[in-house]
Amino acid sequence: MRDVEVTGLYKAFGAHQVLAGVDLEVPAGSLTAILGPSGSGKTTLLRLMAGFERADAGTIRIGHTVVDGPGVHVAPERRRIGYVPQEGSLFPHLTVQANVGFGLPARQRRGGGRAESLLEMVGLGGLGQRYPHQLSGGQQQRVALARALAIEPAVVLLDEPFASLDAHLRASVRADVQEIFRRAGTTAILVTHDQDEALSTADRVAALRDGKIAQYGSPEELYARPADADLASFIGDANLLEGVLSGGVVKTRLGLLPLDGAALVPAGQVMVLIRPEQIELEPGQDGVPGRVTAYRYHGHDAVLNVQPDDDAAGQQVTVRVVGGPALPPGSPVTLRVRGPVLAWPRGCP
Amino acid sequence: MASTGTLADRRSAPPTPSARRARRPVALLTVSYLVAAILALPLVFLLIEARGAGASPVAHLVFRALTASLLWNTVRLTVVVTAACAVIGTLAAWCVERTDLPGRRALAVLVVVPLAIPDFVVSFGWNSLWTWAQGFPGAFIVMTLAVYPLVYLPVAASLRSADPGQEEVARALGSGRVRTFVRITLGQAKGAIAGGCLLVALVLLAEYGAFEILGYQTFTTEIFNELNSYSFAASCALSLVLVLLSMLVLAADGLVRSRGRVARSGPLTQRVTPPQQLGRARWPVLALFIALVLLALGVPVGAAIYWIVDGLPPVLSGGANVSLLDAAGHTAAYSGAAAALATVMAFPVAMLAIRHSGRMRRLLERSTYLVLGMPGVVIAFALSYFTERYAAGFGYGTSMLLIACYAIMFFPLALVGVKASLARAPVSLDEVARSLGQRRLAVLGRVTLRLAGPGLVAAFCLVFLSAVTELTATLLLIPTGTQTLATQFWAYETNLSYSQAAPFALVMIIVAAVPSIVLGRFFNRTAQAPG
Repeated sequence: MRDVEVTGLYKAFGAHQVLAGVDLEVPAGSLTAILGPSGSGKTTLLRLMAGFERADAGTIRIGHTVVDGPGVHVAPERRRIGYVPQEGSLFPHLTVQANVGFGLPARQRRGGGRAESLLEMVGLGGLGQRYPHQLSGGQQQRVALARALAIEPAVVLLDEPFASLDAHLRASVRADVQEIFRRAGTTAILVTHDQDEALSTADRVAALRDGKIAQYGSPEELYARPADADLASFIGDANLLEGVLSGGVVKTRLGLLPLDGAALVPAGQVMVLIRPEQIELEPGQDGVPGRVTAYRYHGHDAVLNVQPDDDAAGQQVTVRVVGGPALPPGSPVTLRVRGPVLAWPRGCP
Repeated sequence: MASTGTLADRRSAPPTPSARRARRPVALLTVSYLVAAILALPLVFLLIEARGAGASPVAHLVFRALTASLLWNTVRLTVVVTAACAVIGTLAAWCVERTDLPGRRALAVLVVVPLAIPDFVVSFGWNSLWTWAQGFPGAFIVMTLAVYPLVYLPVAASLRSADPGQEEVARALGSGRVRTFVRITLGQAKGAIAGGCLLVALVLLAEYGAFEILGYQTFTTEIFNELNSYSFAASCALSLVLVLLSMLVLAADGLVRSRGRVARSGPLTQRVTPPQQLGRARWPVLALFIALVLLALGVPVGAAIYWIVDGLPPVLSGGANVSLLDAAGHTAAYSGAAAALATVMAFPVAMLAIRHSGRMRRLLERSTYLVLGMPGVVIAFALSYFTERYAAGFGYGTSMLLIACYAIMFFPLALVGVKASLARAPVSLDEVARSLGQRRLAVLGRVTLRLAGPGLVAAFCLVFLSAVTELTATLLLIPTGTQTLATQFWAYETNLSYSQAAPFALVMIIVAAVPSIVLGRFFNRTAQAPG
C-alpha cells in the first residue's frame, strides 16, 4: 500500500498537448477516480503512471520511489503496478488460472494455489481451467483484476474497467471491485468518463480538464461545491442561470435565492447553479409559474423540462422529482428553489 | 482537505516536446534499417550497372522500336488479364462467401489451389496439349487461369470480415439486389480488389516461364534473351523500363488506396446472416465454377498425368538426368532457407509497422515497395551481374546468392504474413505482461511469439511456396551442376521431353499445394477470429 504523487506532469503527442501540468496526490489505500471527458488525457495519465509512456516533464512518485522524473524512468515491470486495461486484455492463449498466475515467479505458478485463491476472491473459484473466450465480459474483467492483484501491487490502475460491461452488470461488478479493494487495502486509481461511476465508486475524485486537474476532492465536494460552472454541468445535471448578486442574495428568474454561505463571490453579475433536485414543483404556491415541455419518466424518479411563463423564448429549467403524478407536456406547474445556491462571477467561468 | 483549483502557482512553463523522449526502440530500428538497406540493394546495383554501361548507350537501347513493341505486348496483356482476374475473382468470391451456392465449402478450396501451380506449368499443360494455345490468346487464357486467385483470396477475406448487415440495410432501404451488389458489396471489397489487381499486374510484368513456352514476347523474356547473348547493357536498359512500369502500377494502386477505407461498424462479433438465395441461377453458376476449376486445375494436372502415362515405361535419356529426389531436395533446402531468412527479416520491420506508427513506419513500408516494383528477373540479374563484375565474384554462383535473392524477392509476402500474425498479439497484452513484472524478452517469449506463432508459420509457408515454384531467378542464379524441380522441369520442357518434364511438374504441384492448403486454413481462421 503506497501513496502516489504526481507533480507538474506534461505530455504531448506531436503538437497535441495532452497533459499540461497535472498535480495529484493519491493517499495510500484510497480509491481515487480520475474523471474526464474522452480525449481529456485520463488514459495518458494512467499510462504514464504505469510506465508505458514517458512524461515530457514533471515527476511521478510511488511510495518513496520516483518512477518518472528528470533522468529517471523506471521500467513498467519494475514498478509493481497492477494494470487493468479497458478491455481486460486477458492473454487469449492461456487459461484463466495461467492468466492470473502470469506475473508470479515460476515456482508459485506451478502449484496454481495462489491463482485459485485469487480467483475465489473475485468470485470466480473453479473457473481456472477455462479460456478467456469462454467467459462473459464481467468475468473477464474480474480475471484481469485478479491477475493485477496477484503480484501484490503497490498501486492498481484501472482504465475504464466497467465501460465494456452491460449496464446491469456494471453496477454489480463495480460494487464487487470496490469491496475487493477495501478488503485488500490497495491503493487504486480508476479512470472513467462516467461521472456516475466516479461519484459512486471512489473515495476521491479528480476532474481532469484541458490537461490539468480542475478539481480534486471527495465525491460530495465535487457535486455540491464544483469549482466553476463548467465543472458543475460536467458533474451531474445542472441548471445554470444568470443572476445578480447583492447582499448575499441572488436575483434570478426563479426568484430571490440565498447564496451558499461559503461561496466568496463579489456582488454583481453572477452565474447561479441550481441542481434539478433543488427545485420543487408546488402547484398554487408562491413560486414561478411555468409549463412542462418534456416529461421523462425513469421509474425511481422523473426529469422534467419546464418553461417559465415569464420568458417563453428563454432557457428551460430541468427539474427532478421523486414520485408525484405524471405531468404531460403542457401541464402548468410552479417552480420553487429549495436551499441556498452556488454562484460564480459571470464573464470569467 | 479539498484542493480546489488548479494549483496554478506550482505550474512551470510547458516544456518543449523534445525535453524528454520516450525510449526509442533503438535495436528494432537499427535492424529494420539494415533490412531496408538490403532490400534496396538490387535497385542500387541496377543503377550502378546502368551507370557502368554509360548513359547514352542505355538511352539508345531504351528508345528503339523493340522497346515499343515490348511495351505494347506487356501493357495490353497486363491490362486485359488484370481486368479478367478482377471480374472472375470478385464474382467467385462473392458467390462462395455470400450465396447459397451448393458445395461452396469445397469450392472455396478448389478455386484457390491453382495459385499453387506455377504459371509455367499451367502454360506447359495448355501448350503441350493444344498447339493453338500460344501468343496473345494463349497468354491471356493461361495467365488469367493461373493468377485469378490473387484477386479471389483478398476479396473473399474482405467479404468475410465486412459487415453483411450493410447489405441487409441497403435492401431494407429499397435498393435491389444488383444495386446492392454494386453499391455496397463492391464498395466493401474495393480495397481488396485493388490490392489483388496490383498483385496480378506485378506478376504479369515479372512472368518469364509461361511466356517463353507460349512464345509471347514481353520485357522479361527479352531481358532473358539479351542475357543469354551476354548483352548486359541491353538487359540493363530493358530492366530499367520494366522497373519503371512496375513502379507506375504501384503508384496507381497507391492513388486508389488513399481514397477512403472500408470501416466495420459495431461490435466485432460474428453474426451469422443467411446467405443470398441464388434461386434458379444456382445450377448454371455451379456449372461455371466447375468449368473454372477444370480449366485452371484440371488442365495442368491432367496434362502432367497424361504425359507421365504417355511416357511409360520411362526411357532413360542420357546426359543431365537428375533424379527427382535430388532436385526436390535442392528445392526444399533453398526454399526453406529463403523462407526462414525472409521471415526473420520481416519480423523487426513488422514489429515497427504494427507497434510504432508514424514516419518511420511509412518509410519502412515504402522500402518494401522497392522490392515489389522489382521483377524477379531484374533482382536476379542485378545480384548476379553485380557480384560477378563489381564484388570480385564474391558470392557469385553460390546457393547463398540464390537464397538471398529469394528472400529479397519474397520479403513483401513474408511481411504481409508476419504483420497479420503480429496483429493477433496486440500491444496492450505486452503492456499488461510488463506491468506484471516481465522483462521485454520474457514478454516476447511468453506472449508475443506464442500468439504470433501460427502466423509466422504461415508467413514461412507463403515464402516457401513461392520459392518452390520460382523459375526466373532460379534459372539465372542456380549454382552450376545443381538442379531444382523448376530448373530440371525447364531443361526437359525446352527439349520438348514432355514425358520427362511431367513428373517434375506434378511433384511441384503437390509440394506447393500442401502449404497452400495450410495457408488457406490459417487465413480462414484469422478472418473468423474476432479482433
